[in-house]
Amino acid sequence: MTRFTVDPITRIEGHLRIDVEVDQGKINKAWASSTMFRGIERILLGRDPREAWLFTQRFCGVCTTVHALASVRAVEDALNLPIPMNAQYIRNLILIAHALHDHIVHFYHLSALDWVDVTQVLKADPAKASSIAESLSDWPNNSAKEMAAVKMKVKGLVDSGQLGPFAHGYWGHPAMKLPPEVNLIAVAHYLQALEYQRYANQIVGILGGKTPHIQNVAVGGVQNAINIESQAALNVDRLYQMKSLLDKVVSFVQNVYVPDVCAVAGFYPDWFSYGAGVTNYLSVPDLPLDEKSTKYDLPGGFIPNGDLSKFHPITGQKDEYWRKAVTEDSEHAWYKGGGPLHPWKGETDPEFTDWKEDGKYSWVKAPRFEGQPAQVGPLANVLAGYASGNPLMVKWTDAALSKISAIAKVKATPAMLHSTLGRHGARAVRTAVLSELAVKHWQLLTDNIVKGDAAIFNQPEFPKGEIEGVGFHEAPRGTLSHWVVIDDGAIKNYQAVVPTTWNASPRDSKGTSGPYEASLLGNPIADAQHPLEVLRTVHSFDPCMACAVHMFDPSGNNTAKVKVL
Amino acid sequence: MRSAVYGIGNILLGDDGIGPAVVAYLSSNFELGPEITIEDLGTPSLDLPNYLTGYDRVIFIDAVAADAPPGTIRLYSRDEIVAAPPGIRISPHEPTINDALIVLDFAGGAPKEVVLVGVVPQTLEGGMTLSPAVAGAVPRAAAMVVGELGKRYAA
Repeated sequence: MTRFTVDPITRIEGHLRIDVEVDQGKINKAWASSTMFRGIERILLGRDPREAWLFTQRFCGVCTTVHALASVRAVEDALNLPIPMNAQYIRNLILIAHALHDHIVHFYHLSALDWVDVTQVLKADPAKASSIAESLSDWPNNSAKEMAAVKMKVKGLVDSGQLGPFAHGYWGHPAMKLPPEVNLIAVAHYLQALEYQRYANQIVGILGGKTPHIQNVAVGGVQNAINIESQAALNVDRLYQMKSLLDKVVSFVQNVYVPDVCAVAGFYPDWFSYGAGVTNYLSVPDLPLDEKSTKYDLPGGFIPNGDLSKFHPITGQKDEYWRKAVTEDSEHAWYKGGGPLHPWKGETDPEFTDWKEDGKYSWVKAPRFEGQPAQVGPLANVLAGYASGNPLMVKWTDAALSKISAIAKVKATPAMLHSTLGRHGARAVRTAVLSELAVKHWQLLTDNIVKGDAAIFNQPEFPKGEIEGVGFHEAPRGTLSHWVVIDDGAIKNYQAVVPTTWNASPRDSKGTSGPYEASLLGNPIADAQHPLEVLRTVHSFDPCMACAVHMFDPSGNNTAKVKVL
Repeated sequence: MRSAVYGIGNILLGDDGIGPAVVAYLSSNFELGPEITIEDLGTPSLDLPNYLTGYDRVIFIDAVAADAPPGTIRLYSRDEIVAAPPGIRISPHEPTINDALIVLDFAGGAPKEVVLVGVVPQTLEGGMTLSPAVAGAVPRAAAMVVGELGKRYAA
């Protein structure tokens, strides 16, 4: 039996640590731990709720906008404040553009290297790579000339003795299975993805005023002045500039990202049988279509035990089923008390004990839905869409499964989505759905402005006494909720239950593991010194752990350390 | 020559906010002119390359892990930054300035001139104030940025 820890070491102890026990080449025990205290909600106590979003968007360096929007939604929910349609559409477009950007970056720049062996590119035939890529889609940048240029670029890197951005991959690992040409296609698209994710980010910038920290939201709406003829406002020029960026991103998602994920999945069909873990799925509806946020374009709800027939929809932030079901348990987390407590009653008092396998071992609390752990993220969102018969979700899921079936030469079914690869597939499906909804919401905004509606804001007014609100958002990494208690117009309690808290949850007081921990059980480990398989499964969730410290370490120590015990 | 000055760090985590603090100080005390972009980028990690392409010169201000007393300022050259080897990444938060430069050196579009003004932190505990030693370093770090901007590079 081998025991090992994958622990990114920095001087400032942040991040995710995974401990696993391997017996006969398979993981039989796992612990997920966050090594950094995240009590930053405490900064908000006593502050003006109208300003909370300015602070919450600093919670996380990658997902600034999602925390800004969840925060204003929480305060608006407490006030029962309706939101003008222009503001809803502008927020929706920001959220969609952010998600398109984030999902593309996650696949190409964070997790593709778990499946792609860059050194194999040198063996690839560019003409053959081009014809494979052209058989997958009619994207214009897949020519043999393009592939040959990328191969030369990689050769230059290898000849220099440095692998540059790919230096941290597990090259030549026995679990790498793609043919050389597919590796070449992936690297070519890695480079193109750098360009296309930037366009999505520029859309956030146009609407948000700037990135990475948007300036345009407000409790009650947005601050974008709307005047189709003014240079200083959201005008026709800006709308069309946005549309042209959007069209490019939509094309990349549908013609490059989706086919690439299907191709990679088709060569690793084994990974449809690993990594299911917790199959209770939670997602929330998003992209509101009315002022009171009662109708949404994206469905959400709870699926127990992977059984789509038991799907229980969540109808909105006011849905009592949702509002009552969420609790957080700190039996195995470094906080006082055990819980479970509802987020409005939530406490953030640290009690550090050191890493104890049967005691407290993480700074992440254990969120529970009706007392059970739940997996969140694109897979939960796509399954909610599939279960509720959402036409876009069904269309793109079926298209992806049939593409994977053709490549893998086995029948890919919705049941196979409960897996490590299923999470990647579902993320691609969700991105494709969002790419269509981006165009729809751009049109809704444009039509609304053209018909003469310039309303952007409803003034918030705070009553005497105590009120409570919850703001949710189906973020790129899954269900995000901010829970606020306001007393006489000042923040009395604030708890952010973030997607990664659901997925990286430690055991709860009943001893039930969270999704990361459960998903690692049974994963094969070919080489304990190089646990590529652990990275594959953990990366498939798109972890967002170190919300959010940044420090440059000139010694290069900001790397994951694998320690075999 | 297009130049950018970027503060990196989380303003909610004590001295990690040094980069944004120096940017705020520069913005309120100096006229840098419209040809110089100055921005508090927070903790952009994987998004950082987006803010680098198109610039000839970038000056970063960031907290650094160096063995020196809090408030110490160290200058790092482009070569020194890129020499810090990238490692296995678990989450999108971990990539840093060196990763962004390495990615763009491969993909194209990396700025040629890069300097990091690094300040050694005392504490990274939650809170929105800088410790006294680090707060005292803000004007000196800002002066260093201005000095770097004044340097003439053979383009």
